[in-house]
Amino acid sequence: MRHSPASRRHFLKMMAATAPLGVAAPFALQMATLGSAAAQSAPTGYKALVCIFLFGGNDSHNMVLATDTDSWNRYFLARNTGNDPIALMPPGTPPAAVGSVSPVTARTVTRSTPEFLGGVLPITPQTPNPIPAGTVASTRTFGMHPAMAPLVQGAASPWNAGRLAVVANVGPLITPTTKSQYVARSVPLPLNLMSHNDQQSIWQSGAAEGAQRGWGGLMADTMLAQNGSNSVFTAVSANGNAVFLSGGTAVQYQISTAAQPAIQPTAAVASTLYGSAVAAQALSESIRDTSGLSLFAQDHAAMTRRAMDSAQALNSAFATTAAAAIPAPTAYVNPVTGLVEANTLATQLMTVARSVAAAPVLGVTRQVFFVGLGGFDTHDLQNPTHTNLLGKVAHAMAYFDGVLGSVGGLNMRGAVTTFTMSDFSRTFSSNGDGTDHAWGGHQFIMGGAVRGRDMFGQFPTVGIDRTGFSNPNMSGNILVPTTSVYQLGATLGKWLGLTDAELLTIFPNLANFSRRDLGFMV
Amino acid sequence: MHRIWIALLFMVTLSACGGGGGGGGGGGSTGPGPPQIPPPTEAEAGRLLAQATFGATDADIEQVRNSGIEPWIRSQISAPASTPTHRAFLEARLEELRQTTPTAQLSPDVFYDSWWRTAVNSPDQLRQRVAFAYSQIFVISVGSDVIDPRGAGSYYDMLTANAFGNYRDLLQAVTLHPMMGRYLTYLANQKEDAAGTRTPDENYAREVMQLMTIGLFQLNTDGTPKLDLNGRPIPAYTQADISGLARVFTGWSWYSPTPTNTTFFGGARDPDAVIRPMILYSQYHSTSQKSFLGVTIPASTTVDGPGDLKIALDTLFNHPNTGPFVSRQLIQRLVTSNPSPAYVQRVAGVFNNNGAGVRGDMAAVITAILMDPEARSASVASDPAYGKLREPVLRMTHMLRAFNSTSTSGKWQIRSTSANTSLGQSPLNASSVFNFWRPGYVPPATTALGGRGLAAPEFQIVNEVTNAGYVNTISQVVNSGLGVSNDVRLSTSNEILLAEKPDQLADRLNRLLLSGQMSAALRKRVIDSVSSYAVSSTDANQAAQARTNRVKAALLIVMTSPEYLVQK
Repeated sequence: MRHSPASRRHFLKMMAATAPLGVAAPFALQMATLGSAAAQSAPTGYKALVCIFLFGGNDSHNMVLATDTDSWNRYFLARNTGNDPIALMPPGTPPAAVGSVSPVTARTVTRSTPEFLGGVLPITPQTPNPIPAGTVASTRTFGMHPAMAPLVQGAASPWNAGRLAVVANVGPLITPTTKSQYVARSVPLPLNLMSHNDQQSIWQSGAAEGAQRGWGGLMADTMLAQNGSNSVFTAVSANGNAVFLSGGTAVQYQISTAAQPAIQPTAAVASTLYGSAVAAQALSESIRDTSGLSLFAQDHAAMTRRAMDSAQALNSAFATTAAAAIPAPTAYVNPVTGLVEANTLATQLMTVARSVAAAPVLGVTRQVFFVGLGGFDTHDLQNPTHTNLLGKVAHAMAYFDGVLGSVGGLNMRGAVTTFTMSDFSRTFSSNGDGTDHAWGGHQFIMGGAVRGRDMFGQFPTVGIDRTGFSNPNMSGNILVPTTSVYQLGATLGKWLGLTDAELLTIFPNLANFSRRDLGFMV
Repeated sequence: MHRIWIALLFMVTLSACGGGGGGGGGGGSTGPGPPQIPPPTEAEAGRLLAQATFGATDADIEQVRNSGIEPWIRSQISAPASTPTHRAFLEARLEELRQTTPTAQLSPDVFYDSWWRTAVNSPDQLRQRVAFAYSQIFVISVGSDVIDPRGAGSYYDMLTANAFGNYRDLLQAVTLHPMMGRYLTYLANQKEDAAGTRTPDENYAREVMQLMTIGLFQLNTDGTPKLDLNGRPIPAYTQADISGLARVFTGWSWYSPTPTNTTFFGGARDPDAVIRPMILYSQYHSTSQKSFLGVTIPASTTVDGPGDLKIALDTLFNHPNTGPFVSRQLIQRLVTSNPSPAYVQRVAGVFNNNGAGVRGDMAAVITAILMDPEARSASVASDPAYGKLREPVLRMTHMLRAFNSTSTSGKWQIRSTSANTSLGQSPLNASSVFNFWRPGYVPPATTALGGRGLAAPEFQIVNEVTNAGYVNTISQVVNSGLGVSNDVRLSTSNEILLAEKPDQLADRLNRLLLSGQMSAALRKRVIDSVSSYAVSSTDANQAAQARTNRVKAALLIVMTSPEYLVQK
């Protein structure tokens, strides 16, 4: 009753795991062993998922790229155009000096043009990705945006160390959908495709704006009992309210990237208010009084009550040695300006790492976290904006991978799996200096239990239809996903320990897909 | 039924005008003639002011009681926009800053200062409150890198000036404002290229439909979605409509007295380009066919940017969705998160026709929203699901207004209140064009509201951290003040006078802050707390301090009480 072994991808994956295909297969086995070893060393079987949401619709066409000649030419044709062309440079292109004329594009280089960054960084998945229909190539090769060097350069980088994988062309799907089915609207499609708020909600919950339960929260529902008296810390956001973390019973808990703020004037903190114990007590009771008639008042008071009850426990857990020893991120330098600037994503992940370190003190063994970074809606100014954003993502993820290597002396990488999501990816063609809303895109999965340095799902044929070329993966300039968010979520959920029945409850439409485990977890 | 209500409103208007607010007219008149309308109670005045202003003051309450509700609304609608405008305030501040630092630039902080000054002090309260509501429908963010603070001031002035005008004019002024052009990236948007490789930027075409006019689904006049045979909502537009409409929003860019290709792309920028409407650069405007929402502008050999824009905006403005879509959101901003379909229908009916055949008359729409029984009836308001969570910045404006705040510097240097340890919200600084919150946000199923499927937009930005931040922020304001060096401070002399009469102090806070809705439990907490500070009869200094502490404790407890946080 599991995934269909007849799947071609699955077959390739099995080949990779069992047959000596060059150096790749032994390396995979080696990393798999390392991953499970790390997990075993984690205390009491701790496991956590960390969702990084890239708000605004990340242009993954410029994050992970196919670099075989056929794919690259179509890419360059579509994007090396307009008043500020957004095509990245081919692999191997050296960075060009500001003011010089690029030998690739014959344009004068500025700090924000792709020529300044040099070529995309080659990555070689250990499993050859199948050649899709429409692509004329004997091998598919790939590259990553040059601002993402921290993820792919150096032996210790998450990609090279086998802890980072790419899931290609994933997006919301109700049922497997071909281009022609999408064009003809002959299968049920997710509501309000290409609308930011709705697609953010659909990625997180399967339903459009107004959704009340997300799959992170529904997974948290199954873990509350394991977390005992501190189950309030099961579904934790460092980035504001997200439907992702709301379950049927699990409640999202907001964590501050500084100390959890105590409510200063209340009796819990100061025994008196301007010298009166009576007033301090009255204030403490008032702000968490859930007995008001108004439902709005009840809900606000319940939230405040949670804040008051938990802040102290969390702050003292964060003060323990293991948590306090998690180092702050190194300074982030914007590749475009060359200047240091804040990386809020790294700061949020620092808080998550400290939470992981604090978990044993709190008696918490299963957690789901939500962090995020905004600004990906690059309709214009894509070159400077997107380069900086991907630089932040890479800096933050590499930092997080690094600190998880030693949490209170334990390697927690195998116990924490981090993954990206975004509203949608963007149009393949440029609007002159940016891109518009689209659908399918590529995402990252990172962790010690991840079958890293590999790519899962079919990397699509790229390029816009023209005479003599019909792209089976793109409608206009929009990628039709070949892998569903549900499949991605179910693979993560299975790793977390959820049963098939639980996963089918959380992802009812998973039943429409033969493959329920994409294979990217060890 | 809707017409009957309008007729009733009309009678209210006449009688209140004639009566001049004389008291005691309400008791059991039995003779013929128009019904006698009793003057509004303090509670009724307070409820109106919570919906229609940045917070009730003693003077406001008296004014509403004296004039009656509908005449008060009419006088507010006819009041001119107060001065200085945001733009004038920002320009004066820049000039002042440059006296010490010649290269000084404006920051968003100065816009915030200007906003607080206006919100707290301006007499045209209804206009300002409506402009604030528009700023959450036609969203730009002054904190964005691409927004110029002076341009943002001019944008906000435009919303204020159009508060009671026609929605069609507002839509056009928004569309041509360079700050919206920048924010939604259609400023310097080029037509498609001949090869079909490059397509126009679709950002504004999509969001002007989704967020500012028609919304995602075909609507009934009562704001509920029309359903297909399978019970699913019917999309109001498709991707093809967006691509077609996007061609209309090509060729618009920075104002310049001498437009060139360079000025189109932002070079040689005129100093006033950030405040003057965008102009058309014909060479970049698409002349190919533009099809959207059932309208087709045929391909043409001549460029007609303004003509195309007129067709596009007329189509959006006249779409049957626009009335209910806009009306429902304005009701949510001013009155209640979950208006009944009948309420939306009554207001949308006025949007569609103000009674004199005019569509989009926002003075009539705002009046209809505020005069509706669902806004005015105390029994409707007693429903536990009624009302809305007060926006964090509106709680603060209310407190500052109610207690006669002043700015020591005169510059209202409140600065950003965005931090989650502050208010978690600054005016005109949402994180995206989707505003601080979504009108359709429903809290999690584990909550009282969410369990009933009720929307609560403002709850989208409150959480454990912001709730703690709010209490701490109010405490800080009560103790010392708000902003740079506590620039803005409360004046509580009127309350200090009541410090030794705890019940009267509680009543006063009930009147100013809670529209007379204070629960017995809260009243007891206030009175017990106030009474717990002994006031010496022999030591004048101790007595003065005790009286101050009494007032501070009372303010803090009321301003942070869950019942205060609900506007109902």
